Amino acid sequence: MNEANEFLKHVVTRRQLLRAGAAGVGSLALQSILAPDALAKKIQSSGLHFAPKAKRIIFLFMNGAPSQQDLFDYKPEVDKHHGAELFKTYDEKTEKWSTDGFVKKTQRLTGMTSGQKGFPVARSKFKFKQHGQSRAWISELLPHTAKIADELCFVKSMHTEAINHDPGVTFFQTGHQQPGRPSMGSWMSYGLGTENDNLPTFCVLISNGTGRPGSQPVYTKLWSNGFLPGVHQGVQFRGGRTPVLYLNSQTGETVDARKRMISRIEALNQLQIDTFGDPEIATRIAQYEMAFRMQMSVPEATDISQEPQHVLDAYGPQCQMPGKFAANCLLARRLAERGVRFIQLYHRGWDQHGGLITALPKQCNDVDQAQAALVNDLKQRGMLDDTLVIWGGEFGRTAYSQGALGDAANGRDHHPRCFTYWMAGGGIKAGFTYGETDDVGYNIAANGVHVHDFQATVMHLMGIDHERLTFKYQGRRFRLTDVHGKIVKPILA
Amino acid sequence: MRIILILLLMVISCVTNAVEPISFNQQIRPILADRCFACHGPDSAQRVSDMRLDQQETIFKELPSGEFPVIKGKPDESELIHRIVSDDEELIMPPIDSGKSLSEQEIDLIKQWISEGADWNKHWAYEAPQHAPLPRPIKKWQQNNPIDLFVQDRLKELRLRPENSADKETLIRRLTLDLTGLPPTVEEIDNFLDDDSPEAYEQVVDRLLKSPRYGEHFARSWLDAARYADTHGLHLDNERSIWPYRDWVIQAFNNNMPFDKFTIEQLAGDLLPTPSLNNRVATGFNRCNVTTSEGGSIDEEYYVRYAVDRVETTATVWMGLTAGCAVCHDHKFDPLSQKEFYQLFSYFFSLTERAMDGNALLPPPVVKIPSESQIANQNRIASEIKQQAELVQKILADAKYTDSFSGSDYPAFEKTDRIWFDDTLPAGAKPEGNPGPWAFVEGPDHPIYSGKNSSTRTGTGLIQHFFHGATDPFIIAENDILFAYVYLDPDNPPETVQLQFNDGTWEHRAYWGADKGHGAGRNNASNKPLGPLPELGKWVRLEVPATTVGLKPGAKLNGWAFTQFGGTVHWDQAGAMGALQLSAEQKKSYAIWEYFLKTISTAALPDPIKKLVAIETDQRNETQSKQLMTYYLENVNPKTMELLAPPKQKQVELKKELEAIEKAIPSTLVMEDRKEPRVAHILERGEYTEKRDAVESAVPDWLGEPPVDAPQNRMGLAQWLVSPTHPLTARVTVNRYWQHYFGTGLVKTSEDFGVQGERPSHPELLDWLALSFIESGWDVKQFQKLIVMSSTYQQSSRVTPQKHALDPENRMVSHGPRFRLDAEVIRDQVLAISGLMIPTIGGKSVKPYQPAGLWKPVGFGGSNTSVFKQDTGEKLYRRSMYTFWKRTVPPPTMSIFDAPNRETCQVRRTRTNTPLQALVLMNDVQFVEAARRFAELVVTHGGDQIDQRIGYLYRSVLARNPKPNELQLVTQLYNEHLAEFQEQPEAVKSLLSTGESDHSNSLDQTELAAWTMIVHLIFNLSETVTKG
Repeated sequence: MNEANEFLKHVVTRRQLLRAGAAGVGSLALQSILAPDALAKKIQSSGLHFAPKAKRIIFLFMNGAPSQQDLFDYKPEVDKHHGAELFKTYDEKTEKWSTDGFVKKTQRLTGMTSGQKGFPVARSKFKFKQHGQSRAWISELLPHTAKIADELCFVKSMHTEAINHDPGVTFFQTGHQQPGRPSMGSWMSYGLGTENDNLPTFCVLISNGTGRPGSQPVYTKLWSNGFLPGVHQGVQFRGGRTPVLYLNSQTGETVDARKRMISRIEALNQLQIDTFGDPEIATRIAQYEMAFRMQMSVPEATDISQEPQHVLDAYGPQCQMPGKFAANCLLARRLAERGVRFIQLYHRGWDQHGGLITALPKQCNDVDQAQAALVNDLKQRGMLDDTLVIWGGEFGRTAYSQGALGDAANGRDHHPRCFTYWMAGGGIKAGFTYGETDDVGYNIAANGVHVHDFQATVMHLMGIDHERLTFKYQGRRFRLTDVHGKIVKPILA
Repeated sequence: MRIILILLLMVISCVTNAVEPISFNQQIRPILADRCFACHGPDSAQRVSDMRLDQQETIFKELPSGEFPVIKGKPDESELIHRIVSDDEELIMPPIDSGKSLSEQEIDLIKQWISEGADWNKHWAYEAPQHAPLPRPIKKWQQNNPIDLFVQDRLKELRLRPENSADKETLIRRLTLDLTGLPPTVEEIDNFLDDDSPEAYEQVVDRLLKSPRYGEHFARSWLDAARYADTHGLHLDNERSIWPYRDWVIQAFNNNMPFDKFTIEQLAGDLLPTPSLNNRVATGFNRCNVTTSEGGSIDEEYYVRYAVDRVETTATVWMGLTAGCAVCHDHKFDPLSQKEFYQLFSYFFSLTERAMDGNALLPPPVVKIPSESQIANQNRIASEIKQQAELVQKILADAKYTDSFSGSDYPAFEKTDRIWFDDTLPAGAKPEGNPGPWAFVEGPDHPIYSGKNSSTRTGTGLIQHFFHGATDPFIIAENDILFAYVYLDPDNPPETVQLQFNDGTWEHRAYWGADKGHGAGRNNASNKPLGPLPELGKWVRLEVPATTVGLKPGAKLNGWAFTQFGGTVHWDQAGAMGALQLSAEQKKSYAIWEYFLKTISTAALPDPIKKLVAIETDQRNETQSKQLMTYYLENVNPKTMELLAPPKQKQVELKKELEAIEKAIPSTLVMEDRKEPRVAHILERGEYTEKRDAVESAVPDWLGEPPVDAPQNRMGLAQWLVSPTHPLTARVTVNRYWQHYFGTGLVKTSEDFGVQGERPSHPELLDWLALSFIESGWDVKQFQKLIVMSSTYQQSSRVTPQKHALDPENRMVSHGPRFRLDAEVIRDQVLAISGLMIPTIGGKSVKPYQPAGLWKPVGFGGSNTSVFKQDTGEKLYRRSMYTFWKRTVPPPTMSIFDAPNRETCQVRRTRTNTPLQALVLMNDVQFVEAARRFAELVVTHGGDQIDQRIGYLYRSVLARNPKPNELQLVTQLYNEHLAEFQEQPEAVKSLLSTGESDHSNSLDQTELAAWTMIVHLIFNLSETVTKG
């Protein structure tokens, strides 16, 4: 819809009102009832701006920032320099940088290590091998993921602007570090509408990490509709008997009783339409029907009792424990099958400032088998072609050690300058690696991908021109990518 | 019929098209602003050519090419027209790749505007409001005040008719919901229906404006604008105490504080000549913004963010100005330059607040707000404590002490150190250090106190070595004094040395020197100051009584830390000394006591007494000797202590009482400027690191000059905003009030009155309302009365298909307002109807029902709001504005009905209609419980017959009687439910036990259950959640 002309539509000068009379009867009325869906139904197959490669997204967000140095961005050179001071020093008198060290220390560090005395280059404590025909380097911590290497597209040159978690995650999800903007999933819902009649368009699933329990909060602002209409808000699916808030009747009424209640509400509401002619009443009737369908379909969608044993085995034992990452992966596939457009997972606990050697294997163990199973499962069902799977966190971790080397308690600090993402399916080149970091894995050496570039690319795959999907609010046209974002064409299939 | 109407309208339109001149502000500027200003507008950085279309001076000025953008009366010679109609892909404007284009209709409008002389006005909202002549009343239509004249004038012009007045039942429901956010009671409805006098309606209005519920209801929307919440919002999202500000807002509305005063107090109450406590509480408005203390955050960045938020909020709320656009560059559409933004920013950049809020409940600056009774109690208890202290002094003065000890035969006291570790660490101990490991060093290069080694550390900042996890714990005994030996390098002394003890937590610390250790600033058992640094260059024994650091006898230590701030420090031998105790008999002697102190330890004494003991007995002067003796008599001598016990005990009790009162006194966040203002700079692209020119606080003068005597601080800003000539403040404010009643403001974009915002639907009315508001002395209640007294407000909300087709949003107000109630009102309504609502005003926020497990899965483990603990009793049934607002997980029943998340300022709520709303109304325990409670009232107060009861139910919820077909349907449903429940006693029980409130056992339970179902059904009707 063209909000640019909003005032022309609604500020009714006499002439405009009369003109609207000709074209506008019905169409204006309809807008207030069904705007998002009516728009969406038309465009879902052809895409909003062009034909989509992906129809839906499963975004596995690794909250806390996993260490790319220990998982994907293998640096043979670092072995040689292990323990050497990373930063060059600057001599004020000669105005020269020292010849030892690898990186000029010109950018900010977090308050957590900025006072640290030295910044020793730290090699990974884990072994790396190349996998698949694509010869992708993958850490020993991810044996299952290693087996699907040829399905994955690695972007090793992601970079972001935020240096701390809260602004970092908010930036990734809403394109802005401060709260208040719509989430990616909300933008997709706004732009593309729904593909089903009985489940939300945008679902959110959260799991806790075992590597750092209770760490990395998530916030409802991350799946908020911001200034978009409320219907585009993400709906959180939870473990347990009430997967969606308020889904279940307080008193355990039967389906029939509930159906009857809704038909009675409708009957009484209908009498009101006759009196007031207010189309909002008709909308409310429709929403009660949708609520009823959700009460039926959500339990069906979340019930995995009919999943065959080999599928359950593939995802691993935790897929039968509601609220675990593996269970969320399986649920994500089921929601994707049922037409949910944007499925956002958050796995918490990736913030390894210290104790990396024990915590990171636990985090990897949480996710490895299930995420590989998800990709395989989608592929076997023929859904991987039009489902985009995305994996990564809000930033990366430093090439230098936080805490002294050799200290079992050490780890790595936040690092916005480079980190690794992988994607699979829906229009992405499989078995491909894009972007490079320097020899010590501190700076990007080639083909940097900014968060806004990533967002633009994902929207492109969904058939959306990121510069054209805008919403006017407080006098300004907002978009997910602000005024930035370039599509990363080399990674498109 | 519809087609005829349309044709008729089209005919009229053709006729009028030819004669009605173009309005620049209404029709042309919006097109130019939307399609052209981005490159040809105010933003100097983005302007790509000399052609500037946002200013009168430039639009008619010759271009370097010799062309003129616009030549009055000559569209064909105007370059603007040449470019927008060009066939040349290189020349056409807007450029093809901009994604923007002009429709033929728009091009025609621009041509027509130039033909008519290209009349140019300043953007309407930046000119002061003007009194237009009142339109003439239209015969036979009802006019109550000038609002009706303006509205009806437009309606007549559009060939629309206003609706007749709504019936009295609808009116009282509408009015009561609008002015108090609650429905009318059956009694109030009856009183109104029974009163046939012409003043009946006005009397209801006056009654409602006096209701304390009015202040709550109006405060609630203001709190959306103020982004009020109960947590700090970022990362940990801990609790923050600013609810006294919320209560101030309620009182301000209830006391009808004039809006200018309301403005000044909130923006600059602290800068009034003699600010009262209330004035300071009011400034909480600009402390409501989200703040952080996330580890690693950079202070400078957050100082900037907080100030930016305050400018954006203040500009939106008072001026409908989207100032945020000018953070990075000159505003693209409105004349606000980036420099002007940072001049506004400067007003808010110099607070005494810290960038990192410490995740604290009360990050300073804060004020305490004792109630009158709290102050009276404090004074009373303080004076009683004083009396008791005087009594103690008197007893001491009267005490006649003689030491019976001979002075020659002192008992043998010996120190008995229990060493925990010396050259090796205890079994199982895990040594660590940061940075680097625990390091033992040996002599002779290093000082050693005992054995063959000592541990040492050199560095900058807060550094330490420690161990934890000792498997054979060190058990604290009665009167233990912990000790360790320390040696400070005279060439590189530290600023602080600190001992930390771990008995499961490290919250037991003592330090010497500067307060720069762990837990700095606490001054309690988790970080106790014990005096200056020990002497340099020699081994000194540090001692601290175990109780001083909160370690009780029996505590088991598994860890010990040697901590220092900078310098080089050696540590050796540590443990505890089981201090011998004097016997009761020995305590009777002052001399023995003194001897004991000198030979064993003075660690347990307060500092000044320690110093006195250190002086040789014969070197003390008279005062010193007396002081020491008094201390002895008061604290050691059994006989005097017995005499002192009653007043001392009394003192302890009184102090406890005083502490309890102190603790109960609420505090709140306020504004306070630094003595030395922080200099604001223009920030390139809004980046805090990219400082450009320094700027001083100033207002954008194209919106009017500040009053002559206005100071150059927030007070001056506030005075400027409420000066009667300010073009925006009154308009923006009355527009929000209009929005409150009609769902949409006269300017729909109530947050944006700028060039990109919407034009007002009734410009003259808006100005008239703004000026009336100012002329009334900014009288807020009088203004509400003005609106609700209008016949425009009182129209029926019935919509004909024709009206709906022509004006779906009812911008012309050709019928009464009709829209869904706000989230809070939907819940408060059922609380009120069911009799559950607790009417208490204000106080700490409460935690009513919410689905289990909402906070935990998302919250940070260390956050004090990671676990939701639901309240019980009365706190479950307070009005929704008192519900604890956790920003990262707002109360779901509120957000599902479009309440904003309170992270940023919001002056207009969206109003959606979603399936989740249906789920809440059907399944939330609160609505079922309220239905059950109200069902009891239906049975006890609704009469004996089913139709009477249905009537009572309808009148209580919808303020009207059921229609015959409704009565028939509901009766039938009731009988069905009754029959079913008779078969299912378990279902009856389960339904009637929903929620925590009691339920009446004396009533027929089956009947009650059936009525509960009916009430719940009515709660779910569209009409119930709609103001009609």
